[in-house]
Amino acid sequence: MSSSLASPSSPLPRGSAAGRLSVRLHRFRLLDASGVVVLAIVAIGWAVPLIWAMAVSVHSPDEPITASNLWWGSKPTLSNYAQAFQIAPFAQYYVNTILIVAGILVVQLVTISLAGYAFARYRFRGQNLLFFLILLQLMVPSSALIVPNYSTIRQLHLFDTLVAVMLPYFGSAFGVFLMRQTFKTVPRDLDDAARVDGANWLQTLWHVYIPPARPAMVAFALSSISFHWNDFLWPLVVTNSTNSRPLTVGLAVFTQLGEIGAQWPLVTAGTLIVVGPLLVLFLVFQRQFIESFLHSGLK
Amino acid sequence: MIAEQWRRLLAASATAVLAATLSACGGSAATAAPSAVALTFYYPVAVPGPITQLIDGYISKFEQQNPGITVKPVLSGGYPDTLTKIETTIKGGGTPPDVAVMLSTDLYSLVDSNAIQPLDSQIAAAGGNNYLNGFYPAFLANSRYQGHVWSLPFQRSTPVLYYNKDMFQAAGLDPSKGPANYQEMVADAQKLTKPDGSTWGIEISSDGIPYWLFQSFVIGNGSNVVGSAPNQVSFDTPQVVSALQDFADLSAKYHVMPSGILQWANMPNDFVAGKAAMIWHSSGSLANILKQAKFNVGVSYTVGEQGFGAPTGGGNLYMLKGIPADHQAAAWKFIQFMSSNDIQADWSMHTGYIAASPAAYQTAAMKAYLAKTPQASVAPDGLKYAKAELSAHDNAQVQKFLGDAVQAVLTGKSDPSSALQSAQQQATQLLSAFKN
Repeated sequence: MSSSLASPSSPLPRGSAAGRLSVRLHRFRLLDASGVVVLAIVAIGWAVPLIWAMAVSVHSPDEPITASNLWWGSKPTLSNYAQAFQIAPFAQYYVNTILIVAGILVVQLVTISLAGYAFARYRFRGQNLLFFLILLQLMVPSSALIVPNYSTIRQLHLFDTLVAVMLPYFGSAFGVFLMRQTFKTVPRDLDDAARVDGANWLQTLWHVYIPPARPAMVAFALSSISFHWNDFLWPLVVTNSTNSRPLTVGLAVFTQLGEIGAQWPLVTAGTLIVVGPLLVLFLVFQRQFIESFLHSGLK
Repeated sequence: MIAEQWRRLLAASATAVLAATLSACGGSAATAAPSAVALTFYYPVAVPGPITQLIDGYISKFEQQNPGITVKPVLSGGYPDTLTKIETTIKGGGTPPDVAVMLSTDLYSLVDSNAIQPLDSQIAAAGGNNYLNGFYPAFLANSRYQGHVWSLPFQRSTPVLYYNKDMFQAAGLDPSKGPANYQEMVADAQKLTKPDGSTWGIEISSDGIPYWLFQSFVIGNGSNVVGSAPNQVSFDTPQVVSALQDFADLSAKYHVMPSGILQWANMPNDFVAGKAAMIWHSSGSLANILKQAKFNVGVSYTVGEQGFGAPTGGGNLYMLKGIPADHQAAAWKFIQFMSSNDIQADWSMHTGYIAASPAAYQTAAMKAYLAKTPQASVAPDGLKYAKAELSAHDNAQVQKFLGDAVQAVLTGKSDPSSALQSAQQQATQLLSAFKN
């Protein structure tokens, strides 16, 4: 994935490249001769499952998938999609997933830029300890926090609501770290100049710090969206109703078929329904995403 | 700790911001009449199909028959997710569901974590042993512990042998019946295996839950891997060792099965595609196999050296602990309803699970279905050869020990005797922490 993101086939606008970045670009160019073949193989390897999923999702469910009949079969059909939509209330799940993902992201962007700003530009007692503890939280797997988080949700009487799904993720250790590092690269002089012009801290943050941090925020948004779009166990634990459950819970109806053999046409149709919008989002904003990742040094 | 507090602080302040949204969202909770008992029912999905619609249909039927009781069905993912959801609720101090479908083999783990309550008094009131005798005995084999009955069958299955009748005919075998024991199965498979590699005589999966199909070999050898108590297992007896040798011989000695670990999910596909003349798979795969196969499908029983044998599988209905008395009475009514003949017959026809009782196969709807699909009567008839599925304290771990031994032998990394001895040692050590 990271290799295909760094593909040299999408060159960056040169004017915008900082010094460090141009060194990196130079290294990519060295890859051109020998690397293109390798990257092409990686890209194809990455794309084949997706293309196969698209082909099989229109494979007739009555036809076995064999070595000679591995793709869309002799009579392609959309019945798998119809069946998938019939089995799970995907329309409602879509609304929920979008609300959850967008809600988390909006609050995260506020909290991480405020916290990142505080850590980057203010000096206060216990600052290093606090920052260390936030970084430490990165090491704690979220599955280990399910019981305490559930307990909190229950005490707040939020069980089975969309907010319950979002609440544990309103803060993001990774996001705070990322914003702190990004804000630290903003020259002090700009900050001082804004203060001299009479800007308060919020105006300084908004006009001086946020604009150059936009690529980092887009990169963070992408990782946040894809993580929460795909999150399954926490929403499953903390919700009971269709009204508060995301797409992944709907997908479980297709993927948890331990008893019998895989229903590939149905599974792939369900999967594509769930990941489709993310794919489209990525294809449409591909260029911006790649630039953002390069700017922010994320892999 | 401070990070956690900081997170909570953040969370709390964000909650305040969203308080307005909440009051808008959460207002619809308490709509039932004050006298009504509102049950919650967790169920996992393990087969394809319109599972949620079927369950919703049964519940509305139940609510019609039982005014004053409402049931909220909650799809809880797969079996492991269901267990996680319930354990999280209990550990986090929340209210568990009243009724849940969980694996019959989860029994000891659920009792150990104090999550479920026995059904003895309710069963006694419903007719005691007379009531229990209505179910297939094999489906209650994983329900009893410490003198109590803890669960009733809901979505049960067993491994069966599927065979390609057309290929049997072409190979000069009798297509009216499958092999009666391991030796016959090997002989049949040798005739069915094509030297050009286009068709294998038999395919038996060893991934996912490898201990399950392996249990068929053991039970067919007149033995089982289940111990006499939940803190014991019987992995290294001569019958078990020779069962594992038989499993491995299919590819290593007789060359009638592909070598290595065969994927559970691919077996039905290999069978309908003609790549395998026989497979062992869940009875629940029947509907799908019949739908896709372009040849005559035969269904028979899995075998060991001494004849037919198979473990049971699937999920039972449990009543959770700590629910109020009026909920207990209502929950019992619901458990009875869901394991009753009409519901079980309908559930079986739509999903491929085996109905819980012989009487379900005498209902009019089921008789009509069996007239069209005679293969569906094979699995229930075979329950007389079925024994308990492997279950013990710390069950997932114990099942893994045996599964790892099976895989180690099938991949040629170990021999049956030493692999099973080491599995036995691991399990014994783990289970020594339990008194009984």
